[in-house]
Amino acid sequence: MNHLLAYTPFLDPLDLHDAWWITILPLALGISLAYKAIRVPTLDRLPREVVLMTVQTVGAMVLLSLAVYVMVELLIPLLW
Amino acid sequence: MTRKEHLEFNPLALVLACVLPGLGHAARGEVRRGLCIAAGILGLFFGGMLIGGIDVVDRVEDKWWFLLQAGVGPTAFAADAVHQKMLKVPGPSGRPQTPLPGAAAGSGAPRITKSLGRVNEVGSLYTALAGMLNMIAIIDAGWFFPRPRPSRRAEAAAPPGARTA
Repeated sequence: MNHLLAYTPFLDPLDLHDAWWITILPLALGISLAYKAIRVPTLDRLPREVVLMTVQTVGAMVLLSLAVYVMVELLIPLLW
Repeated sequence: MTRKEHLEFNPLALVLACVLPGLGHAARGEVRRGLCIAAGILGLFFGGMLIGGIDVVDRVEDKWWFLLQAGVGPTAFAADAVHQKMLKVPGPSGRPQTPLPGAAAGSGAPRITKSLGRVNEVGSLYTALAGMLNMIAIIDAGWFFPRPRPSRRAEAAAPPGARTA
C-alpha cells in the first residue's frame, strides 16, 4: 500500500509486471487510430476501420502466441 | 492523369506536423483528421510514459529508443529535457542517472526511480511506435496524395444519389 501512496503518474512506472500482456489492447487501439486516421478516405468510416484493425492485430498476436506455444511446448520436445 | 500529377507539396503543413502531431493536417483544412491523428499518437506517447514512467524517454541512457521517439517532435524533446534536467541524480561516477528502485529508498532526493523489465520495454515500445507513426503523419501532411477511392462494395452500398458518375 505504501508504494501506491508514493506513485506519481507519468513519472513512476506502473506495477504491471505480472499483467504486462494487457497493454497490447491499448497499444493496438492507439496504432489503429493513428494509422487509420491517416489512411481512410473519409472519417465517417474511421470507427469501424479502427475497431477492425484492432481486432485483427490482437487476433493475429493471439494466433502467433498459440503457434509458438505449440511449437515450443509440444513439437520441439518430440525431437528429443 | 497519373497519381504523380496529383502530388501536392505543402511546406507549412510539413513544418506544423513536425511541431505537434496532427497540426499539419489541421492546417491543411482537415481539422477532424488532425485531431484523430493527435489522439492516436499523443495517446501512445503519453500511454507509454504512464506505463513505463518518464524513464522510458531518455536521450542519454536509451539513445536508440530515443531516435524513434524523437519522431513525435518537441513533445519528446521536452519530456527528455524534464527527465535529464529535473529528475536525474548524480550516480557513483558523478554522471547524472535515474536511480534504481532500491537506491532511492531513504535518500529523499530522487523523485523518480528507474523502470525495469517488461514495464520498461512496453513503455519504450509505445513511445517509439508513436514516433514512427508521426513520421508517417508528417509525410502525409507535407506531401499530399489523394485519398484512395472507396471500394466498389462501399460505392454499391451507398444510396443512389450519393454515387459519383
